[in-house]
Amino acid sequence: MQVSDQNKESRTIGILALVCALLQLGIVPLFGIGDGRANLALVFAGLMAFMFGGRRGVLLAFLAGVFFDLTTTGPIGIMAFELPVMAFLLGSESRNRLIEDRTESLKEFALGSLAVGLVYGIVMLFLGQAGSLVDVVLLRVIPTFALTFVAFAAFAYFLSGGSSGGRARGPRRAGMRSGGRIRTKGL
Amino acid sequence: MNARNRAMGSFRRGGQDSGGRALVICCIVSLVLFTMGIREGDSGLLHGVRSGATVVTTPVRVVGGALASPFVGLGNVFTNLTASQESLSDLKSQNEELQAKVTELSEAEQTATRLEGLLQLQNTYSLQSTAARIVSGSTDSWSTTVTIDKGSASGLAVGMPVSDSGGVIGQISACGPTSATVRLLADENSSVSAMLQASRAQGMLRGSADGTLKLDMIQTDLTVNVGDTVVTSGLGGVFPKGLPLGKVTSVNKPTGAIYYEIVVQPFTTAQSYEEVLVITSLTDDQKATSDDMSAADSQDSSTTASTTSAATSATTTSK
Repeated sequence: MQVSDQNKESRTIGILALVCALLQLGIVPLFGIGDGRANLALVFAGLMAFMFGGRRGVLLAFLAGVFFDLTTTGPIGIMAFELPVMAFLLGSESRNRLIEDRTESLKEFALGSLAVGLVYGIVMLFLGQAGSLVDVVLLRVIPTFALTFVAFAAFAYFLSGGSSGGRARGPRRAGMRSGGRIRTKGL
Repeated sequence: MNARNRAMGSFRRGGQDSGGRALVICCIVSLVLFTMGIREGDSGLLHGVRSGATVVTTPVRVVGGALASPFVGLGNVFTNLTASQESLSDLKSQNEELQAKVTELSEAEQTATRLEGLLQLQNTYSLQSTAARIVSGSTDSWSTTVTIDKGSASGLAVGMPVSDSGGVIGQISACGPTSATVRLLADENSSVSAMLQASRAQGMLRGSADGTLKLDMIQTDLTVNVGDTVVTSGLGGVFPKGLPLGKVTSVNKPTGAIYYEIVVQPFTTAQSYEEVLVITSLTDDQKATSDDMSAADSQDSSTTASTTSAATSATTTSK
């Protein structure tokens, strides 16, 4: 039986949101592949979807999207639209998937983030903010995807306790089901 | 009743709200935000909120910029290390102190040189300007921008040109009270009225997705050479006339084309976090003169004439 500790969850969400926001604003501009920059709002939305899912995941993803839209120069509302959709699709199965099946979570996040990047790029193309689809894909979407995925993998590794990944088995999995939660020690 | 249960079931799985309703609400709100943002243009409620967000987040960006500054000086440290590798083995501890001082002093020297360059630029072009410092780069993949530490409280506004000691780097695209976003020349949506310094041929310098600058609208009957300097033309009344932009690195004349394909290397890239000048207003002598405008007009009309002539000759040939 999963025992929900609301305070602990709220603290985890708050700390993760703060860390992602600080990294997005302070550190992300320093590291890029070409024009590509990691999107930590996307990372946060993915984490919330896998950790909590459901309504909370969707709402937190929406807030992350609004934050991204407000702190960048693009049109307001695009990421705020896309991230809840992604969070809904990724988080609709169950909670705690980040720990219980990290490899699968990484695969699903990869697909989701790539789709979000492509849709964002296509919208920017239609809005006249980008010149050609090839440039959008090669120079924006793929570098952004690569950096975002690396950032998500790092967060997933840290949050799941640094284990080797894959589907948890045996006592470890049993421990999760008997109340084991996302690692918050050190957060 | 069953139908209602089925409907509820679509939102709940395993006793937990799957977020369907929340998703619908979020999507509607985001579409409203998007529509409002597009409709209100450069000013309005949402842009005010964005300015507020910029004010709140500026300290974090400044800290990020401060974190980057050691990396800017790192090149000097490596240079020093390789230059004195033999003596380092004997005087390691002493050298470490000296290297730290060298790095610090060379940073100070570079800062002084940049400031001197800015002053020189300001004096040379009699610019009415405000000094600012770049505190952060672009946080997303879709724009090539930097954030500076001055905003509307210092008299800055959207559209003002920004330059460093090497020349123009871009234009303010968003302005909050204490910070502003500068769209760099290399941004895909950036364009500046420019001309070749030698031939005075006028065109548009545009950024591109791959970061290169392209000078458009220069007719193929004009002379353009690799190495020619490109400066602002002053047309449009935004940029002062004659500010350096870059140097021509390649000239291509496609068969049958009216305009050259010219690639320009900017004089400055603003990749490091340095000081800049925001040009707050232009004097009359910095704006394009009526002669410049008529020269641009005549260039356009001659292009139209040559296009018409080419079309006519093509029609005649086909007949």
